[in-house]
Amino acid sequence: MEDPVQLEVFKHLFASVAEEMGVRLQRAAFSPNIKERCDFSCAVFDPGGRLIAQAAHIPVHLGAMPLSVQACLRAFNFSPGDIGIVNDPYHGGTHLPDITLVAPVFVDKGKKKSLVGFVANRAHHADIGGMSPGSMPLSKELYQEGVIIPPLKLASRERLNEALWTLLLANVRTPSERAGDLRAQIAANKAGIERMQSLVARYGLDVVMRNMSALLKYSERMTRQLIAALPDGTYRYQDCMDDDGVEPGPVGIVVAVTIQGDEVTVDFTGTASQVKGSINAVYAITLSATHYVFRSLLGMDIPGNEGCMVPIHLRAPEGSLVNARFPAAVAGGNVETAQRIVDVLLGALSQACPNRVPAASQGTMNNVTVGGRDTERGSNYAYYETIGGGMGAGPGNHGASAIHTHMTNTMNTPIEALEYAYPFRVIQYTIRRGSGGMGKFRGGDGITRELEFLQDAQVTILSDRRNTAPYGLDGGQPGQAGRNVLIRDQQEMGLGGKVCIEVKAGDRLRIETPGGGGFGRLNTKPTSD
Amino acid sequence: MGLGKKMKESEKATSRLHIGIDIGGTFTDFVVYDEQDASLRTFKVLSTPSDPAEAVLKGLESMCDEASRTIVHGSTIATNALVERKGACTALVTTRGFGDILTIGRQTRSHLYDWFSSRPSPLVPTDRCLEMSERVDHRGCVLTPLSHEEFPALLMKLRAHQVEAVAVSFLFSFAHPGHEAWLTKCLREAGFFVSASHELVPEFREYERTSTTVINAYVSPILHQYLSRLDRVLAPSEFHIMQSNGGRLQASQAHQLGIRSILSGPAGGVVGARHLARLAGFHQVITFDMGGTSTDVSLVDEEIRVTSEAEIGGLPIRVPVIDIHTVGAGGGSLAVMDQGGALRVGPESAGSDPGPVCYGRGGQIPTVTDANFLLGRLPRNGLLNGQMPLEAAAASKALDELAHRLGMKARVGMSEGQAVALGIIEVVNTQMERAIRVISVECGYDPRDYVLVSFGGAGGAHACALARRMGIRQILIPPTASTLSALGMLVADVQLNYVRTIMRPGHTSYEELEQEVSLLVTRGWAELQSQGVARHEGDIQCELDLRYVGQSFELSVPFTPAFRAAFDEVHDRRYGYSDKAAPVEIVNVRVQAVGKTTPPPFLLDSEGSPDPSGAFVGEYPLVLESGPTTVPHYSGERLCPGNRLAGPALVVREDTTILLNQADRAAVDRYHNLIVDMGG
Repeated sequence: MEDPVQLEVFKHLFASVAEEMGVRLQRAAFSPNIKERCDFSCAVFDPGGRLIAQAAHIPVHLGAMPLSVQACLRAFNFSPGDIGIVNDPYHGGTHLPDITLVAPVFVDKGKKKSLVGFVANRAHHADIGGMSPGSMPLSKELYQEGVIIPPLKLASRERLNEALWTLLLANVRTPSERAGDLRAQIAANKAGIERMQSLVARYGLDVVMRNMSALLKYSERMTRQLIAALPDGTYRYQDCMDDDGVEPGPVGIVVAVTIQGDEVTVDFTGTASQVKGSINAVYAITLSATHYVFRSLLGMDIPGNEGCMVPIHLRAPEGSLVNARFPAAVAGGNVETAQRIVDVLLGALSQACPNRVPAASQGTMNNVTVGGRDTERGSNYAYYETIGGGMGAGPGNHGASAIHTHMTNTMNTPIEALEYAYPFRVIQYTIRRGSGGMGKFRGGDGITRELEFLQDAQVTILSDRRNTAPYGLDGGQPGQAGRNVLIRDQQEMGLGGKVCIEVKAGDRLRIETPGGGGFGRLNTKPTSD
Repeated sequence: MGLGKKMKESEKATSRLHIGIDIGGTFTDFVVYDEQDASLRTFKVLSTPSDPAEAVLKGLESMCDEASRTIVHGSTIATNALVERKGACTALVTTRGFGDILTIGRQTRSHLYDWFSSRPSPLVPTDRCLEMSERVDHRGCVLTPLSHEEFPALLMKLRAHQVEAVAVSFLFSFAHPGHEAWLTKCLREAGFFVSASHELVPEFREYERTSTTVINAYVSPILHQYLSRLDRVLAPSEFHIMQSNGGRLQASQAHQLGIRSILSGPAGGVVGARHLARLAGFHQVITFDMGGTSTDVSLVDEEIRVTSEAEIGGLPIRVPVIDIHTVGAGGGSLAVMDQGGALRVGPESAGSDPGPVCYGRGGQIPTVTDANFLLGRLPRNGLLNGQMPLEAAAASKALDELAHRLGMKARVGMSEGQAVALGIIEVVNTQMERAIRVISVECGYDPRDYVLVSFGGAGGAHACALARRMGIRQILIPPTASTLSALGMLVADVQLNYVRTIMRPGHTSYEELEQEVSLLVTRGWAELQSQGVARHEGDIQCELDLRYVGQSFELSVPFTPAFRAAFDEVHDRRYGYSDKAAPVEIVNVRVQAVGKTTPPPFLLDSEGSPDPSGAFVGEYPLVLESGPTTVPHYSGERLCPGNRLAGPALVVREDTTILLNQADRAAVDRYHNLIVDMGG
C-alpha cells in the first residue's frame, strides 16, 4: 500500500511541473495559436515513457503524447541534454502541425547519471508547409500536408542540430514564427527538467520514483472501481462521416464496447477502410478519443495518467479509418474524425448507462482556412479558425449553445483583432436558433458566422455533419446538420462540407454549424430558457 | 491637550478623523486615525449581512461627531449584487448581427471533461439583448451610419421590459465613439442609467469590453442606492470607496463605476500589508492571507501588481484589479480519504458552521485546524484568549479514525491521529506552495528575494514551514493582522486608470503619440481635481501597450521616446527573447493618475531588552515534523519591541498563533511586527 500523504503531495507536485511547463510555453511562444488559443499540452513521463501527469488544454493530445515519447525511445537512446522531436503521424504523432518535443530528466547519482523520466510538450504550429497555407489541406497523401519529422534528435548533449533546424525552417511558410515557437517548446522542457531535478533534490530519487509508480496504480485502481460499477455486456453503435472530400460518402465507423468486470474492450472492427481524402485517423487519435470518453464518463478527479488506460483495451483494425496506414492523408482525422469516434463511443455507452451520457454534439470543428496575398498590407497571410456549435442535451439538462465540444476547446479570435490583421470582415456571428434537436431536453444551437472578403482569397473548409445530423437520445430529435454557403452577387450557392474555393472581393461565406441532439421524448411544450 | 482647556474654533475646524471600514462576513472592522492627537485605534462591530449599512452606521455613531471625517469604505455591495445575481434589470444594445455576443463569449467551455456542466448564463437574457443598424471598421470609418429611426422602437422595448440600466457596446466604438455617444445621450435623457463601452473601457476585444460594460450597468444602480443612503446620513463627511486596483475613489463618482469596486475585498489587505512592510523597510513582499476556507496570495515588487485580465464567476472584467491568486485551502478545509486511498485536503470546507471538530459544534470531519490543534500548534486554553475553548477528545478521535481508514501507522512518540495530522499539514502546505509559485516563479519572480507577510488568522501556524519550502528567508507578521484590510483602506491613494486602443504601427512619431496620450492626461488631471487632489499631490504616469506584429498579447512600457528599446528589454526579461529588428504595434495608451494620501504616522516604540521572559506563558508539548518535543509559549500581546525568540516556540495571539520551527529566530521590531529569520 502506498503512503496516502505522499500520494496526495506528489499528485500536486507532478501536476504543477506540467502546469509550469505550460505557462512557460505560452509566455515564450510567438504565434496566436499557442498564446491565445492555447493549442498545446505539456506532460511528465516515467523512465518507461508512461504518462504520469499532464496539463492539457486539448483533449485530442491526451492519449497521444505517450506514443510520441515511446516512438523516440524506440528510435534512439537519450543522453543528458538531448531533445527528441517528432510529428510523423505514423511514428508517435497525430497530424503534421502538431510537433512534440521530448527531453530526458537525469540526476547525478554518485558518479553516474540516473534517469528519472521524461518531459514533453506538443504544440500546434500555424504552418508546417505542404500544399496549402495553414497546413490543413484537402490532401490525398501525407506528403502533401507538410514536412514529415520522424523521431530525431533536435539537440544532442545540449548542442542544437543546426542542419535539422535549417532544413525544417526552409520548408515552412513562416520560418521566424516557427523558430520562436520551437524555442519556446525547448524552454518549456527545460523548465520541466529543472523542476523535476529540484523535486529529486528535495525528496530523494527513490521517493520520487516510488511515487511515480504509486500514482499509476492509484489512477488504475480508481478507474477499475468505476468501470466495475458499469453493467457488464457488449454495446454496439455506428455512425458515419459525410464523405472524405474526394469521393462520395458516407464513411462508416462501427464500435463494440464490451464491459466485463473492471475492464473494458473497445473494438472498432467493421469500420470502413482508410480513405483517399484527409480524414484518416491514426491509432493515436482513436486512443485519445477513447481516453477522453472514459475520463469524462468516469467523471472523477483522477490524475490523468497512463494508469487510467490499463483496464481499457483498444482494438482498431489496421488500414481502417480509425488506424490508417502510411501514407494516408491525415490532416482532418485529428479534427473531424476524432469527433465522430467520440460520437460512436457515446452512442454505445448510452446503452450501458443511459443516465450518464449526453446526445451527440455538433460532431465537427468547422475548420476554415483563408489565405492569399493581402495587397493592402503587402504581405501573404494564412488565417485559421474553428467554429463552435451545439452541445448534445443530457438526461437532465439542455445542451449549451455556440460552444466547442469534445475533442477541442480553442478560443475564437476576437472580431476586432481579426479585422485589424486580415482583409475580410465579419458580418454576422450569432446563435443559429432552432438548430438544436427538440426533446424533453433541447440540444444546444449551432452558430451562424458570415464573413465578407475584401480581396480575392483562397478558402479551405474542412467540416462534417453537413449530410448526417447529430443524433438525439431516448426519443430526443437530432440536431440540424450544418450548411456552408457562398453568396456572390446576392446569389446563394450551397458548398460541400470539404471544399477549397477561390473567392472574389465582395463575396460572402456563411457557415451554419450543426446543433446538438435532443434528449428524451417531447410530450409537452418545450421548456423555455 | 490638557483637560479643561477649551478647543478654539479654528482648531476644531482642522481636526479630522480618517476612518477605514472593511465589511467582513462576521465583523465590520474600523481603523480610526485622529489628526488631533495622532492616535490610531481599531475596533469591530458585528456585521449585518442583510443590510451592511447598519453596521457601518453603528460603528460611526460611536465616534465623536464634531470632527470632520474622511471615510474610506470597502464595499461588497457591487460584488454581492453580481455573485447573487441581484443586479439591476439590464439591457444590452449592440451592433446588428452581434446580439448573441454575451452567450457566445469565446466559444469555450470551462470544464474539459464534464458533459453536463453549464456555462454561467449571461447577466442579460436574450430578449433584452437588442441590436441597432450601424457598423464601423477598424480605422474608425463608418460603413453603416447609426440608424436614428430605430431609436423609438428601441425605447419602447426597453420600457416594455422595465429596464433600469442599459449597456451600450458597438463594434470598434473605441475607434469611433460617435454612435455610442449619440445613443448614450438619448438614453440618459430618457432616464436610464447607461454604461457605454467607449467611456468605460475603450479597448479592443469586443467580448471582454462588452462583458465589462454589462457588469457595470448591472451593479452600479445597486451601489448607487446604497451610497445615497449612507450619504444622506453621513454628509458632509468626505466619503470614498475602495477600488479593486488598490486605490480609492470618491463616492460621488464610484456609484457610476460599480465595476471598479467588484474585487476590492482582498485589495485592502494587500495595500495594508504593503504599507506596514515598507515602514519596516521591506519593499519586496509576498502577501499570504490564510483564512478559514481559502487563502489569498499576492506579490508586491515595490509596486502592487495589477492585472486587467480578471474574471468573476466566469465573466471577464477588463478594469485593473490587484493580481491576487486564491486557492481553496484554509484552516477549515476538510481532510478525507478519497476512493483511491489518498489523503485529500479541501477544497470542501467546514466553514464556520459546524466548523472544525475541535470547535465542538457538531463537526465530524477533521480539518486543518484540528490537525494543528492535535499537534499542539494552537493555544491550549482555546481561541480568542480562551473565550472559545477547544475540544481535544473529539478532534483526536476524528483524526485517529481517519488514520485507521488510511492505514497509517503511529510514529515514535506520536498517536496515529498525530501522524495523520502531520500528513494533513504536509498536503495543505504543498497546496500553498503551489499557489505562491503561481504568482512568483510562473511570473518570472524568484520567491527567495521576497519577504512573506502573513496576516490571515490561520496563517501563523504555516508561515514558517511554507517560507522554508520556498527558500524565503524572512517573514513579517504585523500586529494588527485582523484589521489590516481596514488599515489598507485608510492609507490607499486616489487612483484612476485610463486606457484607449489606438493600434498604430511602431514607427508612429512620438509627437503623434503624445497627442493621443495628452487627451487622457488632461482627463486625468481634471478628475484628480474633482477628487479633491491638489496639483502638487498628484502624479500622472503614461504607458504604451506594445507587441510584435502577429502576437496577440501586449506588454506595457513607460511612454518615453525610448519606448521601443524598453519593450525589447521587458520582452526579453519576461519571455526570454526579443527581436530588435521585428516590427511592433502600439496597441493601447494607458494613463494612471494618482493622488497621494498622507498616511497616518505610526508611533515607534523604543526597543527594550531582548529577553522575552515577560511574555512567557509556559512550556507545553508540541509535535514538530521531526517528532514530539516541548516548547515555550509566549503571549504575542505581551511581547515588547526588542524581544528576541528562538524556535521551536509558539507565539499565541488573540487573532493567530505563530509556530517557530527549530532553526527559526524571531524579533519584535519597533512597530510590534514579529520578524522571523529562517535559519538553516
